[in-house]
Amino acid sequence: MPPVPPTVPAAALARFPAEVLEAYQRYRATGDASAVEALVIAAAVDYRPLGSGPVQAVSDSTRLLEDMGYDSVAVAELVFFLEDLFEMTIGNDDIVGVRTIGDLRACVIRKLAGKSGAA
Amino acid sequence: MNPVVTGVGFITPIGNDRASVERNLRDGRHGIEHVEFLGNADLPVKVAGTVKGFQVESPRWRDWAWPAAYEIPKDVLRGLAPHGVYAICAVEQALAHAGLRAADIAEDSSTGLYCASAGSAMLLHHNIAQMRAVRGSRGNPLGVVSSIAGTLNFNLSAHFRITGAVCGFVSACASSSHALGYAIDELRLGRLSRVVVVGAEELNADSLLPFAHMRALSIQPEARLASRPFDVSRDGFVGAGGAVAMILEMPALAAKRRARALAVAMGWGQAADGFRIAASHPEGAGLRLAMERALADARVGPEGIGYVSAHATSTPVGDSAEALAIGQVFTARGLTPRVGATKGLTGHTLSLSGVMQAAFGVLSIEGGFMPGNPHLGVAAPECDGMELPRETVAAAPGRILSNSSGFGGSNVCHVFAAPNGFTG
Repeated sequence: MPPVPPTVPAAALARFPAEVLEAYQRYRATGDASAVEALVIAAAVDYRPLGSGPVQAVSDSTRLLEDMGYDSVAVAELVFFLEDLFEMTIGNDDIVGVRTIGDLRACVIRKLAGKSGAA
Repeated sequence: MNPVVTGVGFITPIGNDRASVERNLRDGRHGIEHVEFLGNADLPVKVAGTVKGFQVESPRWRDWAWPAAYEIPKDVLRGLAPHGVYAICAVEQALAHAGLRAADIAEDSSTGLYCASAGSAMLLHHNIAQMRAVRGSRGNPLGVVSSIAGTLNFNLSAHFRITGAVCGFVSACASSSHALGYAIDELRLGRLSRVVVVGAEELNADSLLPFAHMRALSIQPEARLASRPFDVSRDGFVGAGGAVAMILEMPALAAKRRARALAVAMGWGQAADGFRIAASHPEGAGLRLAMERALADARVGPEGIGYVSAHATSTPVGDSAEALAIGQVFTARGLTPRVGATKGLTGHTLSLSGVMQAAFGVLSIEGGFMPGNPHLGVAAPECDGMELPRETVAAAPGRILSNSSGFGGSNVCHVFAAPNGFTG
């Protein structure tokens, strides 16, 4: 992916966990898909509802609902955060098959690729 | 059997705990400050009753800060409006005051939650603008529950895991008095044995300036001149924010857990003006009837009232109507209960104001004092015969009649007394 100019002001991410900000900056600087992976994981940990047990090591196979305690609204919040950050729209048909962190990462990368292709 | 008050909690312009609020009520010290909204120094509104110790001006919850004594988890914050932050702090205080832990009310089907707020105009505006900017293709999934008028009951019921009745009340500046009234009824009917009543409002450009456009706000730059209920020269109200929570319980439940009853909710009444959208009946007809109904419900004659906590917001029309109504209920019968309008100190907290006055009344009963009218210079002629002390009176108030009025002519009044029924 080519480098993408930053469009989200740093202030909008100022109070997010440092991993989110770092991964976003790396993605913006390099267009590197691995940075998106780190960002998706950090955001998924950040938006996880409380009261659903300790955070386990998160990998591609970690399931949002069963392993991370997500409910449908929390998934919608996480997706909205990513939509807003990358200025794209993820439709219901895109997320209907998303079960795991890996699915979500792939979905985001697919949408980003579609976005840069269209531009 | 009437419910008793076992706890109150305050986030107000005059203090964020009972001791500060009581001290400022006793000393007649206001919580009104200079404000500037939207970076526009030319706006005619110069002062407001601000909440101190919180930073909730941003539409982004990650920017918010609140006193360290309160723990508000991140996943709770996401669904909250700024005034929801105040409300959680006020409820935590009230629970502690009542000797309750959050676990005591969680999943207890005999505990209810009645709330009042106008919602968050700021978040509603922010969320809709965000949605429109992308032509409706996406939006904050918690935009609805964080901003519409039920936001307090949605969020607090989930946070405190309330399984009795949960409801919100929307009658503008009478809202939290309605919440209190229907809580009392639900308790008297035996449907619940404890209700948490909460009112909250935020203070920002979106919540306040629309009232300036109604010409309802004072344009005086000094607090003493801006909020002076019943004064002949009053020119509008001073906007304010905050949250107040009150725990009401049936006496048997309070006694069973050895909780101290602070006051008794003796009765309430309501009546409407049937007149204008945003102006009181010129003679306060609805408010007079609401006062009489509250007295009848409490089985007290007007001679049994020692202190009237007036709704008076410092608007020309509203204060005049209330003074005339008080005149008909009391002065015309040769009765002169002391009358105090605490909005002189706090500003007008809109839908929060009813439960805030009620909770101030609980402090008055507990502490044996009656807040005065420290900003009152020359009383308006409609107040002739009314006893309007300037300074706080250091004496037990006896029974308190607490008034509220809201848009559309809703009037709600409550009677509170010391737990032994009468102290006057």
